[in-house]
Amino acid sequence: MNEPKWRTGLRYVILILFLGIILLPMIWMVITSFKPDLELGLYPPSLVPQSWTGDHYMEAFQKYNFGIYIRNSVIISVISTTLVIILSSLAAFAIALLPVRGKTIIMMALLIISMFPAVAVVTPLYMLLRTLGWLNSFQALIIPYTAFNLPFAIWILRNYFAELPKDLFEAARVDGATVLQTFYQIFVPLTRPGLFTATVFTFISTWTEFFMALVFNQSKEMRTIPVGIALFNGQFYIPYGTIFAGSIVAILPIILITIVFRKWVVSGLTSGAVKG
Amino acid sequence: MERTHNASEENNSLQRQERRAGHWMMVPALAVIAIITIFPIIYSVWMSLNNVSLTTNGFTMSFAGMKNYGILLKSAVFWQAVWFTFYFSIVTVAIELVLGVLISLSINGIKRLKNISMIVMLIPWALITVISAQMWSYIYNGVYGLLNYILQISQIIPAPITWLGSSSSAVIALMIADIWKTTPFVVIISLAGLQMIPVELYESAYIDGANRWQMFWRVTLPLISGSVALAGLFRILQAFGLFDLPFVLTQGGPGTSTQSLAILSQKVMFQNLSFGPGSAVAVTTVLIVLVISLAFFSVFKKMVSGDRK
Repeated sequence: MNEPKWRTGLRYVILILFLGIILLPMIWMVITSFKPDLELGLYPPSLVPQSWTGDHYMEAFQKYNFGIYIRNSVIISVISTTLVIILSSLAAFAIALLPVRGKTIIMMALLIISMFPAVAVVTPLYMLLRTLGWLNSFQALIIPYTAFNLPFAIWILRNYFAELPKDLFEAARVDGATVLQTFYQIFVPLTRPGLFTATVFTFISTWTEFFMALVFNQSKEMRTIPVGIALFNGQFYIPYGTIFAGSIVAILPIILITIVFRKWVVSGLTSGAVKG
Repeated sequence: MERTHNASEENNSLQRQERRAGHWMMVPALAVIAIITIFPIIYSVWMSLNNVSLTTNGFTMSFAGMKNYGILLKSAVFWQAVWFTFYFSIVTVAIELVLGVLISLSINGIKRLKNISMIVMLIPWALITVISAQMWSYIYNGVYGLLNYILQISQIIPAPITWLGSSSSAVIALMIADIWKTTPFVVIISLAGLQMIPVELYESAYIDGANRWQMFWRVTLPLISGSVALAGLFRILQAFGLFDLPFVLTQGGPGTSTQSLAILSQKVMFQNLSFGPGSAVAVTTVLIVLVISLAFFSVFKKMVSGDRK
């Protein structure tokens, strides 16, 4: 079934147009971040900077607290992701391989909980954190981020654990290994791809979360990157050059992670475990 | 006889031990989820039935019955938020699905550029929504925005337009930003579905004399519709939490034309500090999501039991 040439050509045209539409706004953001202030408000806009400058990148860190936002995001995302992976792999293993009761109900409940928008829990959590004096703290976000990402991670990992042969488990048990030993000596190494997928998804979701971060951590010293960028408005004008410079620095790590681990990202996106 | 009896007893005690271990392994995760998600949702319902006011280091509540819901039902702003959230979700997700499937059909089977296409398509998915919102706000700017420039040199519009300044164009601007970010994700899902269709199916359809159109309707679409529809369902549910994009791009305006339920509830609670009515908005959102989830209960059930490939 060979296609006529024009048809193949048309496919490439569509692909390139599509990739162009995805990339164009981002390229514009990169170009803008290198333009001096005077050029930012020009109309018609200069398509290539008339003079290139790296000032906005300096400003983002010196004048605006970009370094602090990045520090906060790194601390919160790394700790929540670690907690999620430890707790979810234990739970997923138990659900997939051990004779615990209520598996189906637990998995259904997790699926439905993972659909709930953050707005459902924000007020009571705000009240709780306020009463404890924990607003504007790392734990104010680490705890909810851990809870919110657990259901999806358990789902992914349970599927990976369930695909491994059950005989492995029985053989290890017959040899006298405890359940925990079987878990971390045999099963954890075998589910490495699942752990990668769960790690990347959790990390990205904590790195990009905005609603809870906005409500719980508003003080300048405790903002995460998304809150910093959303509230990044100057006194008299919106400093787009600096916003974009900071944004580019903030998304480089997750874009690199996504590119390096794309195999696992795609398998996570498509393995029935769908999260946009 | 005695031996088998012993063996099964041993087996039972082994099972009991494994069950106990299993419970201990599940408890930490499930406890965290219960305390931080389920309990607050229930507490939201309780707060929505009360008058809530903040004190210096806590808050007080007095029972108010359905008063907060009465306020909502009579408020035009609330109904507008419900309506906006509904049609925004449905329109954007529908466009994303159709566009995504069409694009994946067109580019499926392309031999080159595969790797680079996948990388480019993944970037919007990983992008922080707030950043893409700032990016679009600069592009939409009424004075120096790139969009005006492109449309003007292509002679589509005679003079720059303030895209975020009028209700209808602001809604469309938000939709475009959402579609831009999510369509590549649908393309990835749909491409994965297409690649799982065995070539033999097309070959036998070809031998049977099916034309391209028939192959699409009889072979391709039925085989990818499952995964694509599921992606669509999840997207619609997520879209009910729509917040980041309008918060940065329009703050719910002009007026209240792009005010989603999440934006409304955030404004009512954290700007007006009316926690009772704000909780009522949040609870309503949860109810809508719950009703949609339950309507697709059988789909979810199939996912739980059916995916042990």
